[in-house]
Amino acid sequence: MNDVALLDCEQAEGGVQDLIRDLVLGPRIALLPLYELERTDLAAFRGLLIGLHADQRYLSSRRTQLEGFLAQGGTIVVCGHVGHPFLAELHPFAPIPNYRVEDLEVNREAVHPVWEGVEMEHLSRRRGVAGFYGRGSNPPPPGARVLNSLGPGRHPVDFECRPAAGGRLLVHAGADLWGYHGSGSTADRIMPQLLDWITAPMEAW
Amino acid sequence: MLALLEGGTYFHKEAIEGERLTGRFDRTIYAQELDAAALVGCDALIVADRIHPAVLRRKRPLLLSYLATGGTLIVLGENRAQDWAPGVAWEFRPTNFWWWLEKGTDPGHRIVAPGHEIFRHVGMGELVWHYHGLLTPPPGATSLVEITPEGDPHGKGGSILYDHRNVGGGPGRMIVTTLDPFYHHGSFFMPAASRFLGKLLDWTDEAFRASR
Repeated sequence: MNDVALLDCEQAEGGVQDLIRDLVLGPRIALLPLYELERTDLAAFRGLLIGLHADQRYLSSRRTQLEGFLAQGGTIVVCGHVGHPFLAELHPFAPIPNYRVEDLEVNREAVHPVWEGVEMEHLSRRRGVAGFYGRGSNPPPPGARVLNSLGPGRHPVDFECRPAAGGRLLVHAGADLWGYHGSGSTADRIMPQLLDWITAPMEAW
Repeated sequence: MLALLEGGTYFHKEAIEGERLTGRFDRTIYAQELDAAALVGCDALIVADRIHPAVLRRKRPLLLSYLATGGTLIVLGENRAQDWAPGVAWEFRPTNFWWWLEKGTDPGHRIVAPGHEIFRHVGMGELVWHYHGLLTPPPGATSLVEITPEGDPHGKGGSILYDHRNVGGGPGRMIVTTLDPFYHHGSFFMPAASRFLGKLLDWTDEAFRASR
């Protein structure tokens, strides 16, 4: 059984193909064509990975199914900006107005197993260029834990919450976290740690 | 009358509804809901970049009959157009987000048909950014922007924007590019992509929105 299902959007950019080819991580991930979701029993999976290319209008139409997955203790990971809020805890993305380079520096706000041992500098820049990790916030719902933020304004870029429906929701307001796989930096730790976190028993909050 | 086909993503929504671009599309069509009625009266249909290709493959018969009745398709990048659009030959190239870090680097972009109407609006300042693969224009098409062999990591070169009139001998027209401006504009990333989209829409205003 795969640990998690990743909703595939057939996009070359974003690291999905490299992840699936990986000898260690690949077998832990089922690639599920996005529009097959309505014909898939999610009970077979512990986690569901939703990337930035997802058709959020379609996901809105699958809200009952997604809430059912959460209610059985599943974990949903959402990357990208929220345009069409497809779960109650998701709110439309707010960019940092007229951001400058210093606004894009990533700050660790809380210890979390997914980002353990990851140096924020390795998230802030790729080849010296800032902005890949995030440029604003998906506003966290009340009760969420902000995990990482951006710039001196500490705009939340990653949060975890416990949705009303049940389960866990992890939200990253930037490019897909699986795109950091194979980066050659401490950011390589994110994907194995994300899969381990999803499959570990849910922590008490 | 200009319509936009969009894929339900956040970046399509931001481009359509955000305050930076307003009033540039006469009609927006969610790709999953595309039907023949939605295309009635459309002089041109922009297929926004990075729509789920499965939807475009499923809608292929509608898009082909739109072309056959004289429609214009403006197909943007990362849509796997080679799998559903007539005449499209595409080759992958690794994305170089970092071409501009070395001062004086020539990434190889050339406007090869400067008299084309699109260049009344779009210039080199909007065209020179990363691209997602190279096209080989089919016979009868006019290449508009090319990458030189020196600028191509494979040493071959090719087109990143072409205009194909009378597709297959019929009345349809296709403008095809490997640039993906909706994604970058709608993600608040890469100002050159936003500029390109704005100028592209200046051209579509002129060419397809007669009332303006």
